[in-house]
Formats: sequence, C-alpha cells, structure tokens
Amino acid sequence: MDKFIEMTDVTKTYWSADGKTETKVVLPLSLTIAEGEMVMFLGPSGCGKTTLMRIVGGLEKQDQGEIKLAGDLLVGPDRRRGMVFQSYSSFPWLSVRDNIKFGTRYRNDISAAEKDEVTDYYMGMVGLSSYGDFYTNRISGGMRQRVAIARTLASSPDVLLMDEPFGALDAQTREHLQFQLMDINKSEKKTTIFVTHDVEEAILLADRIVIFSARPARVVKEIDVNAVIPVEERRNSTADMQKFFSLRNEILKIIRAEYQQTIGAD
Amino acid sequence: MLKSLFVFRHALPRKTEIILGIFGFFLFLAIWHITAISGVIRPEFLPTPFAVAQAFIRLFTERDFASDIAVSVGRVWFAFLLSVVVAVPLGLLMSTYRVVGAILEPFIDFVRYLPVPALVPLLVIWFGVGETSKIAVLWMGTFFQLILLIADDTKRVPGEYIESGHTLGASNGQIMRHIIVPAALPNMVDNLRITLGWCWTYLIIAEIVAANSGIGYMIWSLRRFVKTPEVMAGIIAIGIIGLLTDQAFRFAHARLFSYLRR
Repeated sequence: MDKFIEMTDVTKTYWSADGKTETKVVLPLSLTIAEGEMVMFLGPSGCGKTTLMRIVGGLEKQDQGEIKLAGDLLVGPDRRRGMVFQSYSSFPWLSVRDNIKFGTRYRNDISAAEKDEVTDYYMGMVGLSSYGDFYTNRISGGMRQRVAIARTLASSPDVLLMDEPFGALDAQTREHLQFQLMDINKSEKKTTIFVTHDVEEAILLADRIVIFSARPARVVKEIDVNAVIPVEERRNSTADMQKFFSLRNEILKIIRAEYQQTIGAD
Repeated sequence: MLKSLFVFRHALPRKTEIILGIFGFFLFLAIWHITAISGVIRPEFLPTPFAVAQAFIRLFTERDFASDIAVSVGRVWFAFLLSVVVAVPLGLLMSTYRVVGAILEPFIDFVRYLPVPALVPLLVIWFGVGETSKIAVLWMGTFFQLILLIADDTKRVPGEYIESGHTLGASNGQIMRHIIVPAALPNMVDNLRITLGWCWTYLIIAEIVAANSGIGYMIWSLRRFVKTPEVMAGIIAIGIIGLLTDQAFRFAHARLFSYLRR
C-alpha cells in the first residue's frame, strides 16, 4: 500500500503561556508513507519533527488537516500506532518479561497462551531472554530501551513511532541497537517513523529520509536512501563509504542552512 | 579511630550508624539524668529517667495503660483509614480530571489552613464528646493534607508511562489501574506513613479536650496531680508507638517496593 499513512495539510500552532504569542510548529504539511517503509524524520532541533510524529501517534492534536492510516481517519491514540520514547518508559514495578507482556495486555486478537508466546518471541528478538526476571532498574539503559521496543512490538501495532529512541545511549550501545533494529526490520517489515537528529543513524536505517526545515516544519528534501546505498549493503556493512559520506555531507549542508535560519530568526 | 568517623561527605558502615544512633539516645538520657540529680530543677518538674521508667511500669500495672493505648491506637487507625479511603480515590481523580481538581483545590487549600485545634469546639458541638467527635478531629486533620499529597504523587507519574499506555491500547480506566496506581504507589505509601504521624498529634489534642479514655486523656488527668514521671512516661509511650509504626511502614515499603532498590 503506497499511501499507508497519509498526512494532508497538517498544521500545528503552540501558544505561549500568556496566550498572546503564537508559534507555528508545523506548516500545512502533506506527506505519505508506504506500508513497510522505514522513514527517518531529520531536521534541526526544535523544528517540529517530533511534534509531527506525535500528531501521527494521536498524542497531540493537529489544528487543521487530517491523517489517515490505511484509509481510516485517525483520532487520538490507539494500539495501531506504537510509540518508543527517548526516555526509558519501561515500568519499574514489572520485570523485563512482564514489561514486554504488558504490550499484549490489551490485545483481544490472541489467546492468553499466545500472549506468552508473543512475549517470549520478542524477548528473544531483542536478546533479553536471560533477563526476563530482572526489574528494569537493574539493567542498563540500552537494555531498557530494548524492553520498550519489544513491548511496543508485542502490542502488534501497524505503525512504529520512534522518538530519538537511542538518543540517550552511549555510542557503542547505540550502534548495537541500530543494527538490531535493522534485523528486526528485516523480519517484521513494520512501517516506521523514526525521529532523529543523527544524520548517520538516519542514513544507516532509512528507506527514505525526510529533511524538515527550521520551525515551522516543512519538508525541505526527501531522499530515497535505497536508491543510493541498497539496504543490504548497509546492513552487512559493505556499503561504499564514499557514497555514504557524500550523502552525509549533502544532508548536513541542508540542515546547517536551516539551522542558520533558526538562529537568524531568533 | 575518631578521625575515621569524621570524613567529609562520606557514608558510614551500617553497624556504626546503629551504634551511633543508640549512643545518641544514651547521651540524651545521661544529660537528662545529670540535670535531674544536680538539683538545679526540682524533681516535681524533672524526675530522673529511672523515676520515669518506674512510672512507665506503674502505668501498666496500676492504671491499665494498655487499654488506654489500645483505645488511642484504635482511634488513630480508624480515622486514618477513613481518610485514606476517601482521599486516595479523590486525589487520583483530582490530578487526572482537571475539572475535579479545579473544583476541589481552592476549597481544600482553604480548609487546610484552618487550625484543627480551633475546630475542636465546633466538632464537639456537632458530634458531642463521644467517639465521633474525636474521629472527626483526626479526619479533618489528615484528610485535606492527604488528598493533596495523593494528587501530587499522581501528577508526578511520568507522561511517557501514560502515553505508552495509550499507544498500547489501554483505556483511561485501565491506565489508571494498571499504570498510574502502581507507578505512584511507593510515594503514596510514604505519604501515608507521614500522615499517620500527624494523626497522633491530633489524637492527643482531641483526647485532652474531650475524652475519658486514651493516652491523651491519661496524660492530662495525671497532670492535675503533678505526676510528672507518669506524664513523661505517657509522652514517651507515644514516641515509642510512633517509632514502631514508622519502622513497620518502612519495612513494608522496602518489601513491597524492592524493585526500587538498585
């Protein structure tokens, strides 16, 4: 399905606390995402990319415009759009296993026995099978983030929304999880929106990169990464580094220009 | 030896901490005893620790102090549970539905600043000198504080937990029961412990003003005969009960919420 997610003329404005000044966060913006596609939202910090993703997730409401998922108009959050946050959102009062199982809690499409199977499956997928009985404040930040990813996958969403999920992790853990996410993506083929400010992360993971302008967000450029570096090459670390770097520099140049504008505007 | 105790911003071994804590008590008792036998203060006003200890035993053997304690403990827990049962659900609603908070907060803030002792005469007029007025005093003293503390605990549950719940398909009620309550519970239990302590303060006030049983009543009636050792023994009994309750709460907290330990 080519237009799995369809955003049409979405706008969003924030008002200052005294209600006097408004800040446009998202301009009338239209964007479509195909089923199974991995789309990275990239742009200068504070540009509104996270806001746009949260609107898709139903966690914030657009002022105007509409968002459809597989043709259905979206209102508010539900299990069809799973979210992974930058901060650790796993529940400290539950073990790793029960955290992941929590993802299946509100599913009525599978039996209790199947819920256990799903839990074990995703716990294994993120490599935490031997940590099932640990409470989450006794495991590392990277592990906690894997718990959050597994929990979201266990809820079987149609769309995976990731808000800088690896942003708080150290470089090595981040790289490890990036490759793990690529593996997961290979077997799951989940439609994913992934917000990041890390250009290399975007190139590594994306089918398509959408670069946003400084606030208010509009799409500056879309890059079909697969056309430049096939996903297999990226996954196997056999990509032509020359292509990788020139793509990175091209993207950085665009973002820098946008960032300059932000500073100028302020 | 002494130098190892005074290390700037440094933790001490658990055993040393306990020994020092006991030492603190004995230091206090020693100063007390020396002051009492020095003759600077007349023994009617300051009996020795030993006289108080003897009075403590007399209270149990001659005055049936145990039943006074039972009555007081019963009042405290009854009133405390009564305010928990109402304050917890209301506190949860206050911080999850803004409309409830907007209606209740200003009123609660107002009542909260009314001095409870000043309410005692009114409550006695309303409820007489029976059990009801004492329970009412305790309830007034704790409920309005507790409800705000519970609302605060609920508010502090991270937004990501709640948003995760929404995107995992939970309804508002499910988020309340399965996420907000367990997330806020450790802090709530802590606040219950603190509130129960206040209950004791108000109990003594209630029992002094209008009662014919209980620890407060006993202390107040012995005052008339200047039985200072007994009065002090009664006060110490309250301290011991408070300390034991507090420790029980802390123990339960550590057991229930062992996952908070790193």
